[in-house]
Order: sequence, then structure tokens, then C-alpha cells
Amino acid sequence: MDMMIILQMILASIGGAVVYTIIGVAPGTDETAVLAPVTIALALLGLSPYVILAFFISAIVAKKLTDSIPVAVAGIPGGVMAAPMVEHAMVLKAHGMPDVSIKKMSSGSVIGTLIAIPASFLIANLILPYADTISEYAGLIFFFGAVFLALLTKNKILSLAMIVPFALLIQGLRHLYWGLDVIPADETVFVSFFLGITIGPIAFTLFKLLNKENRQNTPRLGNKEIRLKASKKEKGIPNPFKVLTKKESGSAALGSFLGSVTFFLTPVGMSVFLGEFLTRHIKDPVQRASRAISTMDGLTNAAYISGTLIPLIAIGLPLSPTAIGPAAGLFNAPPVFTPEHNIHHMLSIGEIMTATILGASIALFITYFVMIKYAGQISAFVFKLVPHEALIGLFAGLVVMLAFMDAGLINIFGVILIAIVSGLLHKNGVNYGVMFMVLYAAPWLLGLLS
Amino acid sequence: MGEENKNYVEIWGDNVKLKDLGIAMALCISFALGGYILAPGDAPQPLIIGLIGGVVGFISSSIIIKPKRTISKMDGDE
Repeated sequence: MDMMIILQMILASIGGAVVYTIIGVAPGTDETAVLAPVTIALALLGLSPYVILAFFISAIVAKKLTDSIPVAVAGIPGGVMAAPMVEHAMVLKAHGMPDVSIKKMSSGSVIGTLIAIPASFLIANLILPYADTISEYAGLIFFFGAVFLALLTKNKILSLAMIVPFALLIQGLRHLYWGLDVIPADETVFVSFFLGITIGPIAFTLFKLLNKENRQNTPRLGNKEIRLKASKKEKGIPNPFKVLTKKESGSAALGSFLGSVTFFLTPVGMSVFLGEFLTRHIKDPVQRASRAISTMDGLTNAAYISGTLIPLIAIGLPLSPTAIGPAAGLFNAPPVFTPEHNIHHMLSIGEIMTATILGASIALFITYFVMIKYAGQISAFVFKLVPHEALIGLFAGLVVMLAFMDAGLINIFGVILIAIVSGLLHKNGVNYGVMFMVLYAAPWLLGLLS
Repeated sequence: MGEENKNYVEIWGDNVKLKDLGIAMALCISFALGGYILAPGDAPQPLIIGLIGGVVGFISSSIIIKPKRTISKMDGDE
């Protein structure tokens, strides 16, 4: 590893931390939608795998640190993963302790990151001997993954019933493009289909609004009311282990470790389940809420990091909700990364570790200290200056461009088709994870059926 | 604000005005796709120009469009 690469890794990590600190604060931003397209684009640009990995880890640590901040500052989640924490943060807010919320949550995040990195390397090493067997049955595993995730969703029967038809839609479009000579027979459209699923819920809502009747029946809202609490100025550099009590650090660490072990399960689900399970016995509402938010924040961080690292180190196939979602670009960004040739195959365990530690430390250093000191100011800046329309517009722009890049003009419409179908399914309780798994399993599944 | 109030819909966790969303999407899509198509040179140059185009679209729509949020400061919410 020469100096140039190290310098690039540092710059990429700083860039990732700064940009995703801001995106993390923006209300409601979906992790997959904001992280996957950018990571994929960086991979397609041909940056070194070290740089891409360091960027990704830094971005995800920063995003996970900050997406809980608007919960404490304004009562709205900064990301899908922060939603389960709203209830507990509201308890602290009702007791006049919003500052405490911010500190407890960011400190929980720091613990989650610190636990997850070594835990991931440990677990990955335990899995490593079975990696070849796992890769051999990838198609089958993705299919069972889809079935398994389908059984965990609200709408089990619809989720199960849609597996084959959805695979048919994906493979059908690919065969159409091959048949029309839009792309050569040895190329597979992946990236834009992936993004199509990601933007599904937004696309479906927008297309529904094209119908006049729907438009008139949609509830009309005024400005979103955001109440910012002036937080006290911090003196010096806060120590996350002093912010949390011993018991809070303990359950945050335990939650983070359990979150790493269950890397293959859905992080939101685990966060709700374990977060409640580990704090259920506490009677005092303030103590309980403060323990719950630090534990949940640690857990979601850990689940994200280990969900990325364990499959990346051990298998090289995206076999966790994080790896098939936000981290998809590290595994599959054809033609640069493919399931047979990606960061797993290009870097050694030591090299993956170096890039991870570098990215995570830079993000922790920048984001943790900046957030603890200036949470209120940064939130106010984002809320005042970044319109939600521009964020949605940016992602629409990226998706359309990448769709055109994958398979030309016709694919823009192909991606719209996938987005509307996925959006409809998502609205009816089919989890993203099921659809992503089907996207991976589709060639194998239809090979089996035809 | 004023008479324009109660005119927004919720998409993706925040309130937007459909007309503004249309403008933002049109700007970002035309800058990103336009940049990609018009860029000279071979890969990855079109992608770089396209990404820059997307960011230009994002910044210009951030300047044109006002966020639909009312921010009130509360001091000492004890």
C-alpha cells in the first residue's frame, strides 16, 4: 500500500464523513437509497478498492451516528433505522433531557462501532472455512434468504407469492434487452434494477399522484413543524464511556455484540427486539429510555458494520440485509465488481481491516466530536437550507443516469417498471430485503423453472 | 408561507410541494443525464460529468426551492 493510496483513503473517509453527517441529519433519508448509488458510482469510476471501502465505512459510521440526532433534537428520525428510537427519545424529551438523548445515542453508536469491528473479524474467521460451500450454493441461499425474509414480514403470503413473478419481471427484462441487442449477451443489468427497487416507494407514491382523484384525496399538509431545542455548549472533548453509566455501556456493548452475531437478520427488527428485551426489566421510565436508546443505537451501528464486513471478509457474496442493501456496491457493481470478483477477492483480510479501521476512526473522530458539540447548529443548518425536493431530485437524477448507462434509453422505462412494481409490493408489506434477494436469485431460480 | 400553506404532501418522511419536486427532479435529471450524454471522451468520463451534473442540479434546486419546514427555537424546554 503506497502513500498515494493511503492519502486517497484519508481524503475519501473525510469526504464520506462530512457528506453523510449532513445527509444523516436530513429527515427520513433511506440508508440504501442514499448510500448504495454513491458507492456504486465510485466503484464504476474505477477508484481503488481500498478507497471505496474506507469511504463506505466512514460514510456508514457517520450516517449512523447522525441519523439519531434529529430524533433527539426535533423528534423526527433521520433515517429508517432511527425510527425505533423515537419513542424512547420522546420520554427523555418529556423529562426535559434532549441533550442527554444526543449524548447517550452518539456514545452508544461509538460503542457499537468499537465492538462491531473486532467482532466482525472474529465471526468472519469462524465462517471462513465454510465459505467455498456457501458460495457454491449462492443461488439456493439467496432463494432461501428471500423465503426466510418473506416469513419475517408483515404480509407473509403476498411476499412468498411474489418471489417467482418478481424474478420473472427481472429476468424477463434482461432477456428482452439481450433479444433487442441493447446489451451484449455476456452483460447483465444489475445496478439500475437494484436502484429501481430502492426508489420503489417514492416512485409509486409519485405515480399515484399522477391520478387526479388520488391527488385530490391525498392529505394536504402545511410546513413541517420542527422545534429545535437550544442545547448547552460542551466544554472539552466528551468521553463516550463517561457519558454512559456502567450499566448503559454494558448493555450497549452486549446489544452491539448480539447485533454482530445476528448480522444476517434485519437490523431494524433486531434493534426493536433486542433493544426492548435488554431494557424491559427497568422500572424507572427515564433510566429505561436512556438505556434503550444507547443500546439500540449501538446495536444498529454494529448490525450495519458487521452486516457489511462479515460477508465481505468471509464469503464475497452479499448475504445480509446490509450487504444486499446499502453495501451492495462493494459486492456487485458490474463490470468493476461482480460476485466472482469484488473487494473480497481483491483485498486480503489485513487490507480490509486497515481500510475499515481507517474509515471508522476518521468518521468517529470527525462526526462524534462535531455532533456532540454542534448537534443543534448542524441540524438547524440542514433543516433550513436543504429542501427535501432537492434530495429526492438528486436521487432521481442519479437513478435515471445509471439506468441509461446500464442499457440505454429503454432501460429508463424498464427501471420505472421495476420501481412501480416494487413500490406497490413495498406498500403492501413486502420487505425490501425479499426483493433484493430475488434480484440476486432470479437467474438461478428461472434456470430451475424453465 | 401564508396562502401557500396546506398545499404539501408527505413523501419519504418529509413534506414537499409537488410543483417544486417536479422542478427539482427535472433539473437534477437533465443535468445528470445531459452531462452523461454530452460528455466527451471514454468511460469513466461521462459518469464523472454526469455525477457533477447531478450535484449541480441538487445545488441549483436547493437555491431555487425553499424547504417546507417551520423551525422554531425553544430555549430551556424544561
